[in-house]
Amino acid sequence: MSYLSISHVTKQFGETVVVDNFNLDIERGEFVSFLGPSGCGKTTTLRMVAGFETPTSGKIMLDGTDITGKAPNQRNVGMIFQSYALFPNMTVAQNIGFGLRVRKESDAVVKQRVEEMISLINLETHASKYPYQLSGGQQQRVSLARALANRPQVLLLDEPLSALDAKIRVSLRAEIRSIQRSLGITAIFVTHDQEEALSISDRIVVMNAGEMEQVGTPFEIYNFPKTQFVANFVGSLNNADAEVVDPLNGILAMDGVHLKTADADMSNRRKGDKVKISIRPERFSFAAEPRKENVVDCMIENITFLGSVVRIQISIGNTKFNMDTFNNPFLDLPAIGATEQVMCSKEAVLVLEDS
Amino acid sequence: MTSPPISAPITVKSPVTRKRLGSWLIYLVVSLYFLIPLAATFYWSLRGQKDVLGFEAYRKLFADTYFLPAFTESILNAVATIFLSLLIVVPTAYWVTLRLPRLRPVVEFITMLPFVIPAIVLVFGIISLYSRPPLLLTSTYDSSRVLLICMYVALSFPYMFRAVDNGLRAIDVKTLTEAAQSLGAGWPAILFKVIFPNLRVALLSGELTIALYMAQHTLGPYMANLTRSKVYEPSAMAIVAFAITWAAMGIIDFVGRGSSRHVQMADTE
Repeated sequence: MSYLSISHVTKQFGETVVVDNFNLDIERGEFVSFLGPSGCGKTTTLRMVAGFETPTSGKIMLDGTDITGKAPNQRNVGMIFQSYALFPNMTVAQNIGFGLRVRKESDAVVKQRVEEMISLINLETHASKYPYQLSGGQQQRVSLARALANRPQVLLLDEPLSALDAKIRVSLRAEIRSIQRSLGITAIFVTHDQEEALSISDRIVVMNAGEMEQVGTPFEIYNFPKTQFVANFVGSLNNADAEVVDPLNGILAMDGVHLKTADADMSNRRKGDKVKISIRPERFSFAAEPRKENVVDCMIENITFLGSVVRIQISIGNTKFNMDTFNNPFLDLPAIGATEQVMCSKEAVLVLEDS
Repeated sequence: MTSPPISAPITVKSPVTRKRLGSWLIYLVVSLYFLIPLAATFYWSLRGQKDVLGFEAYRKLFADTYFLPAFTESILNAVATIFLSLLIVVPTAYWVTLRLPRLRPVVEFITMLPFVIPAIVLVFGIISLYSRPPLLLTSTYDSSRVLLICMYVALSFPYMFRAVDNGLRAIDVKTLTEAAQSLGAGWPAILFKVIFPNLRVALLSGELTIALYMAQHTLGPYMANLTRSKVYEPSAMAIVAFAITWAAMGIIDFVGRGSSRHVQMADTE
């Protein structure tokens, strides 16, 4: 029996289906991200868990209780908003204590809990400040403390880091994750930033146009994407057309070269089938030592320095690929226009959809 | 060798100074337009006693048996109007914004009616409606007073609704409400702990407008009566009315100065 269970939840606005048959079981203490582009239904699903939208059909169970029809102020969930939503007329301490005072807890209890929360987010010296006196990152931390002060059963975060600048985003997401871990609280995190989702989640739900594309750990989502959309959305990908040559041995023909793939579904295909293959840029490497598979000739088209990564644009036949390699000041990079040999393992060649 | 003719010294004012001088000139002229009648009224009010400039007229004013009761009643009417209009307009604007956006055109139309319909038409309509059963309110003094207050409240709708509506937009009322709800707050707590306090500036600006509007009518009948029989007291009365209005404005500004910073929201999006 999972802690939070979202079963067959659908949301329709008139004719438009915004969320289509969403099913997910979340364990207690798990950190799940809903990842997808704008309009994919991830925020709507989150809001249904929070109670701000009512599902058109389906059920949401929290710790054995059916909360589908409950008003938001009767569910024990904590919500963090992209715009922080701190009460401008209250200090940091008053904001954090709001939920407890609404529940008419005693002053002593409120005071102690607020102090506990303030030290959790490391803003002891800011307790009497008003929201307008804090930076964006500080406001979001107060927002987090305010939600956690109520001891919610689930923490819901709606793109909390999208309004912050890059460095703060990275440090704050790590802080959110460590607080969530130490408190053992179940959390759902909505984002369109795949790096965010990959770095902090136990599991990711990739969504597109109201549907769940794939559910899995970050490792699975990145390395074994099940659909073209997931592969393209999470990380960058090289796509090319190919034709099946030998289904049993997993040989494909692409633009004049033969590539071997480890795809399990290949045995179901027939010779002559047209497929789309995808290869992650970082799976290419220059054929330094003798390897037996997928060694092909290519021409170096362009070299771009991206900081920690060097992106080399190569062409195999007429198809262009991006190849990523780690930066090394002493790296002996080939010249533009040179012909080199590159290779990738057969597991790196993903066959995702029929062309 | 010819030396260039020595020209007379020309005072060159820089464009900035000239512009500032022009602004000050306009400011002075406009101020005089207001200040001269005011000063004249004040001077006139000081001539209560023959050949002496003093506050005789003021003393007589406050000693009048009718003045103080009328004064306090006006104040109480104003306070009642303010509270009632707050209680009606704020929840209405809140609900229309959050829950019933389709009713917005209807509500806006209703609140604009007192603004659009001429006062005398309103008066006749009110009198004829409320001077006979079942809505008989003009029979006793107290019930007439209630009617008066209700009508003041209705007159305040255009200003109040606009001010509250703007205030609600400025504070992203939807997200604040959702935040409060997720923390377990019900509607009373949301309205009184979150919405009202954050609307302070908007409410003050709305109330200020009404206060100024009504200040023209405070002690109106009394003052009209005065002008018929006294010479200097009406001027004193006018100065007193101004002084009260300015004091009220000063208080509002003082209180509003503190709260306006608190309504600033984080610069997100």
